[in-house]
Amino acid sequence: MRMIVKVKNVVKRYSEKIALDHFNMEVYEGEILGLLGPNGCGKTTAINCILSLLSFDKGEIEVFGKKMTPNSYDIKRQIGLVPQEVSVFENLTVRENIDYFCGLYVDDKNVRKRYVDEAIEFVDLKDYVKFYPKKLSGGLKRRLNIACGIVHKPKLIFMDEPTVAVDAQSRNFILEGIKRLNGESSTVVYTTHYLEEAEMLCSRIVIMDNGKDIVSGTTEELKAMITTSEKIVVSFVSIEDSVASLMKGIPHVIDIERNGEDFIIKFENGINNLSNLLSFITEHNLTYTKLYSKLPTLNDVFLELTGKELRD
Amino acid sequence: MTVFKYFLKIAIKNRWIIIMYVTIFFVMTVLNSNDAVKREESFVESKLNIGIIDNCNSELSNSLKDYLKDENNIVDTVEDEDYIKEQIFLEVADAVVIIPEDFDEKVIRREESVLVYKDDRKPQSIQIENQINKFLAFANITYENGNFALKDVAEALNESVEVHVLPSGEIEGSGINTWFKFYFNFTGYVTIALYIAVIGVVMSDFRDENIDSRRRISSKRFLEFNREIYLGQLTLASAVTITFIIASIIFMRENIWNVYFLKYVVNLIVFSFSILCLTFLINNITRNKHAITALSTVLSLGTSFISGVMVPQEILGDKVLAVAKFFPTYYFVRVNESMINSLSDIGFDIFMQLLFAVAFLLLGLIFSRKDLLVQ
Repeated sequence: MRMIVKVKNVVKRYSEKIALDHFNMEVYEGEILGLLGPNGCGKTTAINCILSLLSFDKGEIEVFGKKMTPNSYDIKRQIGLVPQEVSVFENLTVRENIDYFCGLYVDDKNVRKRYVDEAIEFVDLKDYVKFYPKKLSGGLKRRLNIACGIVHKPKLIFMDEPTVAVDAQSRNFILEGIKRLNGESSTVVYTTHYLEEAEMLCSRIVIMDNGKDIVSGTTEELKAMITTSEKIVVSFVSIEDSVASLMKGIPHVIDIERNGEDFIIKFENGINNLSNLLSFITEHNLTYTKLYSKLPTLNDVFLELTGKELRD
Repeated sequence: MTVFKYFLKIAIKNRWIIIMYVTIFFVMTVLNSNDAVKREESFVESKLNIGIIDNCNSELSNSLKDYLKDENNIVDTVEDEDYIKEQIFLEVADAVVIIPEDFDEKVIRREESVLVYKDDRKPQSIQIENQINKFLAFANITYENGNFALKDVAEALNESVEVHVLPSGEIEGSGINTWFKFYFNFTGYVTIALYIAVIGVVMSDFRDENIDSRRRISSKRFLEFNREIYLGQLTLASAVTITFIIASIIFMRENIWNVYFLKYVVNLIVFSFSILCLTFLINNITRNKHAITALSTVLSLGTSFISGVMVPQEILGDKVLAVAKFFPTYYFVRVNESMINSLSDIGFDIFMQLLFAVAFLLLGLIFSRKDLLVQ
């Protein structure tokens, strides 16, 4: 796959605060890249630097193989942005808003009309074309925000937390839409702090914290990087401490946490973890009320790599 | 031309601001035209209701009484100050004249010879004063060898004078000229209020940080975007200016050749440009709609008041006018108020307005650059 965005050692400071600290990122054509990190970790700053909305102190940024500057109009023609805030004119209707933002890229009136119709169709706002944004619900506003960012059919789309503060139904609609855009050969850079979204949507993920890229890879690659590969939660009717301590001897167990009646047993990479535990239970004649296995999440990856929860 | 098109579209969506100011303007104009033009089209000396108390009862005082009786209606009165004041307050009498015992001596000595009670706020008070002064002036002229030639005085007073009201033209204070002064002075107030409010509010939409980010990452070139925005502003300003000029022609189409109309047109165009530049400066200082609306009200009303739009510059204090000189409205009003023979007579005031335009533009560019650097 062709690399279309290359960010190398970018440093961005706001007075004394370092917003981006030697940040690196690569985006390949046709992928949905998730930029995952807690609020305030520098995701939006990174996007703004890539798009030349912000200057940066050090490093290099290339988009479509060329250095990105505020005057790179030929590159900008191929880029779309869906900002975190709903950024539309309150005094223009849905259709007028989409037409205005399309007009910033497309001069031909007929082409623009077709693109606007297609964008309205894409976000399913046909019934609201004459509505003013203040009359739309939060979810519909988000759809309008997306339509304004993708109407000119960009090859590369930056979406900055487009599902913040929307209901579940609208969120699913937006996520499905992003998949469809990707299916129509658009490359998407998607920033979020929602782990489930990133896991469900993104073909590759860059995890960042404190302005740094911590690690990148596919979801599977990231999960494979951490020690804990599986967690099994078991709740016994009764268990003596001496027996409980013997659980550490089960193959591949790396740690055991006790949370009330629940034991959370962490396993490193290995097979048959669940059957090994069941054998232990049978062997010691234990009765359990609850037992289930949890595969590691991106939060576990983040926790192990940074020492803190992603939602902290 | 998408940006241009949507600039005008958003401006039109703020039409209520435009309609409000234009309505205020035209209501004021209609009220003024009913008043200002008719004010000086006719001259009628009407009879007043006056009371006369003659304490002298001489030949001279009787002659004065006869003259005043011919010119006015006589009402009964008594020599009691409170009573007289009440009569005037209740408009039973327009004036009461008291002739003192030593009236003849006072006239000969050219001292103040009669006491007149009147309401100085009313124009009638001038009329009675004039009549008495005229009589006394003629009486003094005829005084010779201890006698007044009262017959000659009566004849002289009976000479009637035909008053011709000059229709219009460049006579200062004439009705038509007053109308144009008022009309174009008031366009100053409306221009400031409209430009800052409408263009300011539209620009605050376009300069909203998030919307502007979308523009900045688009393939629309910065210069092209600005060109379309300024073209939009210029179109809007031109539409407003032309509306005011055309409306003045419609209101005063028969009298347009009796005033130096070109002076008003040139002045309004230059002032309009100057205020457009002020709007540019304000838009580069703040994006806050509330601040812009507040500035629109404060600057339009404040500068109009101190510059002579609402109150003539002649009756404003020196300190007020000194402050007013730091704003183009002062020079705009001066041009409207001036009597000129050619456009070169208003060169200085036009130059000052253009100078302000350049200053506003430069300051706007400085703030605009600062804004870019912050980003």
